Amino acid sequence: MLERLSDRDKRAMKIGLICAAGVVFVWLGAKWVGHWRQARRSLAEINAKLEIIGVDKTRQTALASIVPVFEMPQKEETQKFLFRNKLNEQLKQAGINSKPLQVLPAGKPRQDGYRMLRLKCSAKCKFGQVLDFLAKLNENPYLVGVEEMRLRCDAKNREDVELDLTVSTFVR
Amino acid sequence: MHDEKPNAKSVKLAPDRNIRGWRTAVAISQEAGRLNAVAVQRQAGKFEILWAKSCEGNQSKLGSFAAECGLPIDQPPNVSVGGGIDGDRVVVAGFNSAAVAFYRLWVPAIKEKDIEAVVRLQAETLLPLSAEQVELTWRLGRTRDGEVAVTVAAARKERLQEFVENVRGFGPAKILLDYEGIVKAWQTFFGGDLNEGDAAVVNMGARSTQVCLVEDGRLSNAAVVDIGADELLEGGGAGEQTEATEGFARDVASVLKLFGCAEPGELPVFVLSDGGDAMEGIVSSLKSAGLDARESPPLLEQLQAEGGISAEELYGYRVPIGLAMMGLEAGTELNLFEQLYRPFKEEEKKHWAYSLKAAGAIAAVTLALLVIVSYAVDAASPGAIEKRLKAAVSDADISALVQRQKLIKTVAAERPDLLEVLNYISSSGSKGILLDSVQFKKGQAVSITGQVDNPDLLYKFQESLLTKKGVKEVEIQNAAKDPKGDKFKFTITFHYKNFTKKGTGISGISGI
Repeated sequence: MLERLSDRDKRAMKIGLICAAGVVFVWLGAKWVGHWRQARRSLAEINAKLEIIGVDKTRQTALASIVPVFEMPQKEETQKFLFRNKLNEQLKQAGINSKPLQVLPAGKPRQDGYRMLRLKCSAKCKFGQVLDFLAKLNENPYLVGVEEMRLRCDAKNREDVELDLTVSTFVR
Repeated sequence: MHDEKPNAKSVKLAPDRNIRGWRTAVAISQEAGRLNAVAVQRQAGKFEILWAKSCEGNQSKLGSFAAECGLPIDQPPNVSVGGGIDGDRVVVAGFNSAAVAFYRLWVPAIKEKDIEAVVRLQAETLLPLSAEQVELTWRLGRTRDGEVAVTVAAARKERLQEFVENVRGFGPAKILLDYEGIVKAWQTFFGGDLNEGDAAVVNMGARSTQVCLVEDGRLSNAAVVDIGADELLEGGGAGEQTEATEGFARDVASVLKLFGCAEPGELPVFVLSDGGDAMEGIVSSLKSAGLDARESPPLLEQLQAEGGISAEELYGYRVPIGLAMMGLEAGTELNLFEQLYRPFKEEEKKHWAYSLKAAGAIAAVTLALLVIVSYAVDAASPGAIEKRLKAAVSDADISALVQRQKLIKTVAAERPDLLEVLNYISSSGSKGILLDSVQFKKGQAVSITGQVDNPDLLYKFQESLLTKKGVKEVEIQNAAKDPKGDKFKFTITFHYKNFTKKGTGISGISGI
């Protein structure tokens, strides 16, 4: 049958076949490229996760020096007591007799969904006790940070100081 | 055919076809002021002359003559038709051996690479010129009594270079000595019988005669007699003994002695002939001189040509025909041009890996492999990583881990080191400075109030604070003398890392 076809017909058939092959190739190629893109997206997401989890040793050490212990935030009712109790314990350990700790209302939710709850304490103590307290403050697993601190020395005995401290924690 | 006049006149003996699978050789030679060219085709062991051309001229006209013969001139090496070898056609140029000196040596039968040094040493003692001026080539012959015969051909380098310049334009694949072409033509078309052993082949030119010694079917020595057909046939009829014919016979006998024959008659002498009476007479005169002379007329049945070919035509083109035959065969020719001329095809003979196509194909395959491997890695990696992570911790754990890690980083960014701040203040001060209060609040500069004996101490305190890591913008806000005493009261503010910058507030900015 092919022998009966003229050269022109054969050429037309060849071009047609090439075009058909081209269409199939483009169709399969597009699917393939799409799949590849999807795979790359998945890989990028996983890499981002891994980057968060697997910080390098130097950064890990730096983080551990700032946040040696950490507990995930609980609901406000739970978290504020946990935080208050631990802070109170740390004050006592440092020998600071503070006035009753005052819980300030939690703020608006942050971008990560957590709210910040602050705790205020006032005390008269020795300057050395303040240093002891600050040195061990990072061991509070609920602490986020010191928001405010005021130290006033006693005019007569400069070792005595008045301490006003506001510390924060995250609550869910 | 060989009577053609100056402007190359061609005689077409068969259609110029060039069918793949056949091999065609085009040979051009120069002899006695004439340039001859033939195209010979081999088909199933038989030979056919496609065309033959001839014109008057010397070797300086070789290029233009080649062009008239249809050979492309000055084509680059990658041109597939024309010069050199193109798969179907090989072009051969014949060098007139009158300018070549032949020597026959006997050297010990040692290794071939060692023989080279011995041959060169011996040949250089025979050469009339210094080794730098001469190009030589050699070929091993038969071995006898622990010695091997060596045929040495030598010529002035300058003449060879001149010839190369004349033929380079059409780029012949081979440049051969025309004496070798004579021997080949004798063997193939003039009844040369190799079974008879050694022989001398006499090729008569117009003004000189070449005598070639043939051993084992190959040229092993050659000499020229300065008497040619013009002189021999002048004034004498066929078969008549003249002074010239007698002198010629004597010269040929001398050449045979030079070739090592003790007696003139011990070596058969074949005189190439066009079958005419004149040659018969010359052969008779050689016989009369005691030589074993025989006439070698052309054997026309060995060669095909459209429209037939005459004995005169075959005789007239015997040299280029012999050269063309050699071009069609791979042989061990005496190649005087080995160091002087490299044919196009040899330059082309590079490893396949160096070709552009091969490099392109390798690059394409590599690229395709790169794409496939990249895809495979990208496609497989997420699954593999997730699988490994899941093997270590559960899905929920991974999320919790990620969240916890994020939060730890956030907390670290929210946590100023107040112990460090107090340490900076304490270490920057000196005796004479009494601090009244220190105040830190996120988003506001750290504020220190106190008393100092004199302002100099205050300035030192400020400068010292500035050297501390993370402390910036240390400012003395006010410093005034206490009206109740001698001391100066002051307030100093400074920024600590990013915690005290405005806008940091409670949310804080990374301090690490």
